[in-house]
Amino acid sequence: MTPDHPGDRSELRRHLRTAALLLTCASPAFAQPAGPGELRPPQSPRNANYTIAAELDVATRTITGSEVIHWRNITSAAANDLQFHLYWNAWKNARSTFMRENALGGGRGGAPRTAGEWGRIDVSSIKVGGIDRTASKRFIAPDDDNPEDETVLAVPLAAPAPPGAELQIDVAWTAHVPRTFARTGAINSFFFIAQWFPKLGVLEDSGWNCHQFHAGTEFFSDYGVYDVSLTVPTGWIVGATGVRRSLDADEARRTATHRYYQEDVHDFAWTTSPDYVERIDRFTHPTLPQVEMRLLLQPEHVDQAERHFDATRTTLKYYGEWYGPYPYGHITIVDPAYQSGAGGMEYPTLFTAGTRWLAPAQVTTPEGVTVHEAGHQFWYGIVGNNEFEDAWMDEGLNTFSTARAIAQVYRTNDLALRFFGGFIPWVLTDVALSRETDGNRLAGYRRDATSDAQSTPSFRYFPTSGGSITYNKTALWMNTMERWLGWPTLQRILSTHFERWKFRHPKPQDFFDIASEVSGRDLGWYFDEVYRGSGVFDYGVQQLTSARDGDLYHTSVVVRRYGDATFPIDVLITFRNGDRVTEHWDGVDRWKLYVYDRAAQAVAAQVDPDRVLLLDVNYTNNSKTLEPQGGAAAAKGATKWIVWLQDCLLSWAALV
Amino acid sequence: MSALTDGIRRVARAPAILVGVWALTLLVSLPMAVVLRGMLAAHLGDSLAADTAAAGTNYDWMQEFGEQATGLGVTFGPHIIGFAAVLDNLSAFMDATSRPAVIAGVAAVYAIGWLFLAGGILDRYARNRATRAYGFFAASGVFFFRFLRLAAVQAVVYAFLFGALHRWLFDRLYPRMIHEVAVERTAFFIRLALYLVFGLAVAASVTIFDYAKVRAVVEDRRSMLGAIRAAVGFIQRNVAATAGLFLANFTLFVLVIAVYGLVVPGGGGAGLSMWIALALGQLYVVGRLWVKLVFWASETALFQQRLAHAGYVARPQPMWPDSPAADAIHE
Repeated sequence: MTPDHPGDRSELRRHLRTAALLLTCASPAFAQPAGPGELRPPQSPRNANYTIAAELDVATRTITGSEVIHWRNITSAAANDLQFHLYWNAWKNARSTFMRENALGGGRGGAPRTAGEWGRIDVSSIKVGGIDRTASKRFIAPDDDNPEDETVLAVPLAAPAPPGAELQIDVAWTAHVPRTFARTGAINSFFFIAQWFPKLGVLEDSGWNCHQFHAGTEFFSDYGVYDVSLTVPTGWIVGATGVRRSLDADEARRTATHRYYQEDVHDFAWTTSPDYVERIDRFTHPTLPQVEMRLLLQPEHVDQAERHFDATRTTLKYYGEWYGPYPYGHITIVDPAYQSGAGGMEYPTLFTAGTRWLAPAQVTTPEGVTVHEAGHQFWYGIVGNNEFEDAWMDEGLNTFSTARAIAQVYRTNDLALRFFGGFIPWVLTDVALSRETDGNRLAGYRRDATSDAQSTPSFRYFPTSGGSITYNKTALWMNTMERWLGWPTLQRILSTHFERWKFRHPKPQDFFDIASEVSGRDLGWYFDEVYRGSGVFDYGVQQLTSARDGDLYHTSVVVRRYGDATFPIDVLITFRNGDRVTEHWDGVDRWKLYVYDRAAQAVAAQVDPDRVLLLDVNYTNNSKTLEPQGGAAAAKGATKWIVWLQDCLLSWAALV
Repeated sequence: MSALTDGIRRVARAPAILVGVWALTLLVSLPMAVVLRGMLAAHLGDSLAADTAAAGTNYDWMQEFGEQATGLGVTFGPHIIGFAAVLDNLSAFMDATSRPAVIAGVAAVYAIGWLFLAGGILDRYARNRATRAYGFFAASGVFFFRFLRLAAVQAVVYAFLFGALHRWLFDRLYPRMIHEVAVERTAFFIRLALYLVFGLAVAASVTIFDYAKVRAVVEDRRSMLGAIRAAVGFIQRNVAATAGLFLANFTLFVLVIAVYGLVVPGGGGAGLSMWIALALGQLYVVGRLWVKLVFWASETALFQQRLAHAGYVARPQPMWPDSPAADAIHE
């Protein structure tokens, strides 16, 4: 080995690191003092550890990589084979399951692509325990038997791996970086590289949980230690999961190798570009661990650096206080390039935000997406549910949490409309977005309320409406729980769930059990409605009359359940003398009559006056008043609209 | 500038025309607003949601309404509030965004109304003296069918501009130009450049058709193709003047919009503020109409200034007989 052969040198380094990692993982507790990227004591089973060396050729957009995986069978069943995700093969052609589902949802994967803009990953060699198993590898399609799908690779083992068995797996591959699909790819000199290496599925007692790549869902993998060396052109800035431990320049090849390291994570993503502007700041808190925040910004967004940091601080503070501390000590915020399609995505200790060149201060862009993706460090990163099957467990909980955190800090959160190709924002200072309806995305849920039962595995949701069930419905039923049970109870439910399932893989029932346990009441019926059912909630006041009958006013109120789903709600009747009567209705029957004979006339009746049930898809029918303002409101709306219409007519009349 | 000031004076001397076109605008839009009001009132019913909708902007209800709305109702949203309404329409114009069929239908009726009035308006501005109602409508009637023929040509040209050219510029060329652009500001300036190209094409067409109408009225032309040819010839011979006048008029248009942007209220309440907002809105509409009339009047003035006899109008002003008995005298 000579300096003239950098490949040999990096190979040697890789083997040395592998040996060191092996020694580290084999010991019951880490002997070394905690360093960058380390967590003491180990927080997860660390049963899937990756040592990866990869080089990016930016000219051909090709990654050449090799990895050594140290995998341990932590289930009670033997494994007869190994199953790997090869996500990038979803973008090999239009016949993959991902692309077919994308087309089913009306998408075409973005702009038309040239041959070089598709992606793929080719495994050239795979050894298990030093034995070459390349010839035995085959693609499988466990979800839909699509023979054209090559996103799951199965490699039979020469002998079953019993519980507790440890295997060393050596894989070599090359991959072509696509023009961005699913937030992964390249544009110009911006590269965002995610789901990029052959990655083991999750072995469960029932077998491998290794789904094909689907258009509407994300990922699932085991926790471990990642030690990754990335070779990119000299001068290019790299951001990645973990912490950089070394930087070795090869002046002859004009490349630099960045070595990143992180323990107790279940994925590794990275980005590189020569154009990033780097900023560093720190999150401090009286009781939570300090976190170094590294921000990689696009040059045109340098004036928004503080907004990104503030939003990340907001997340670390509130999620930390509500659920549990962020343990890693560092976080990387990536502001993706325009048109990269890489924005708004979470990876362990790194996430992509997303902003616009013109981003008015009173609108929460980039704050909304930054809080959301930073929040995924908690719901996805630390609590690692299966995103293929139960995406709501991270996306839904996180959407709810995002809206709650945003509401704590960003009191000015106005609606902005965008014009002229979406470039020019216009802030409507009259329209303050509410946490409950806008933050939890009621409008989207209303549209898709019956499209799927939430208990359907997420990857089987209809592609275009799955997001509403995953994100919106969960956020709404979580916020409903907050209003119904109270925040202290819900906060304890979530923090208990976080504590029990951090660095593990919870299932939905685990969450439901904790909710019932912590709240001290059986909430099974509620989860039957919101999780297992697809019925809509719609309560309303059907009739309100209040007329003099002798000395008294005879008031009758008919409330009705218009939807299929049920929830106990209050009914409030307000009388002219200021009296208020609140009735508690179990909400089960289709309708209920309330009758009063009182000295005062009723003026209004409301179902769910405190709007506890945020899932109610039609809130306008929740009330009736004998002093209606509908005419005045409609007149006002019409007078605004007529000016819009006249302006519209004048625009086109310019052509006459 | 003299053509512009002359045009402004001609419009000022005929306030009835401004009132008339405003009345037309109101007449066309008011029934639609009444229908929409009915839809909104029906949805709100006796709900308490109306209280917040009346007092300010109930965005939650607005979204709920939008979900179930059809026809005119789908156009009711936050984009109608304040200055967003203006931006929405300008943006839709430049992006060739299609509107619901019912809006397109109303726009067609409105355009026909303008086609009918155009002859009378231009005749009044060309003569620069009162033509009275009979003179105005006589000219309107005379030129209506000529302008309908011209409109057929205009329709073809605008269909090309807003169809083929727009699609080519913004659906084919623009994506290609920004394919590898990773900086939003760059993409924006590219789009802005294409807006400029598209805007110039539209402006050129509008100018040609405007002068075709002016020449048709002033020279009493019957052939609209001939009028278009004559208009192109006039513009070619007076490029600087016609372009300068267009820019001056366009500046007025921008000024009217800017002033409205400064004073336009937002959501507001249902009481007095609603009527103030409506009054300001109507003043803005009048301002926009005034700009359109100044466009025509100043173009007419410019054309007439370049003639050998300023103020020349070929077609004699129609004269009504003094009394029905005049017919009997001839017999």
